[in-house]
Amino acid sequence: MSKENPGLAVATLGALAEPNRMHIVELLRDGPLTVGEIADRLGLRQPQASKHLKVLSDNGILVVKAEGNRRIYQLKPDPFQALDSWVKSFRRLTEDRMDNLDAYLREVQSRENP
Amino acid sequence: MSSSVMESRVESEKVLVLERVFDAPRELVFKMYQDSEHLKHWWGPRGWEVPFCTVDFRPGGVWHYCMKCADPNQGDFFGMESWGKAVYKEIVAPEKIVYVDFFSDAEGNENPDMPSTEVTLEFIDLGGKTKLVSRGEYVSPETLKSVMEMGMLQGITETWDRLEERLNAVK
Repeated sequence: MSKENPGLAVATLGALAEPNRMHIVELLRDGPLTVGEIADRLGLRQPQASKHLKVLSDNGILVVKAEGNRRIYQLKPDPFQALDSWVKSFRRLTEDRMDNLDAYLREVQSRENP
Repeated sequence: MSSSVMESRVESEKVLVLERVFDAPRELVFKMYQDSEHLKHWWGPRGWEVPFCTVDFRPGGVWHYCMKCADPNQGDFFGMESWGKAVYKEIVAPEKIVYVDFFSDAEGNENPDMPSTEVTLEFIDLGGKTKLVSRGEYVSPETLKSVMEMGMLQGITETWDRLEERLNAVK
């Protein structure tokens, strides 16, 4: 039962489900880079890198900052926090239910075998 | 006086496993999942009721339910309804249930914007007691790894650190 926007988490999953985009995200964990630097380090052609960067930006995973005539790409923490929160809510929910089931089983059995 | 300690771990980096031993025979524990009248009594998370629950207990059959927050202390959630829908993939009474869990609406339409989870439940007979193993496969390994690493990088919250510690401890 997360208060975070779950749609965000799903967009993140979808956008990351491509190896090059995953590599870009891993690369940007160490700090912001330009499209040229990203293309170089991953051995991609620049238009190819740009295409992936656009998908990541459109899904709210990256922000672009202009510095002079350079465009610098940087990760946004929000979608990862939303994912994190979703994973945790899933765990909490299951634990809650098992607690409930435990209590309810005791109740049912004490009714049947007083 | 709970006799059972919950165990949890992550398998193959993408499967969340929860284990719990219940002080009840296997048939009874299995029945708790099979019977909608039983489910209504315990399926809701803390502070949530289950005002609606239908079960078509066969492979391909649908389990449709509504959870409603009945706890005024839960702020914005109070009064909120959350609909869920599961489709059974495999049923081996009284040993195993496999289903795919979706977020849905009151009409039972699956919400395509929310992640579905494949859940495998195993009921293991311990002679009067039952070990229940719940496996939820929820994201790709890459994504989970990325989530973990991002969390550390961003130096986020204390809760995050606790989750991380727990995951490491159980690996």
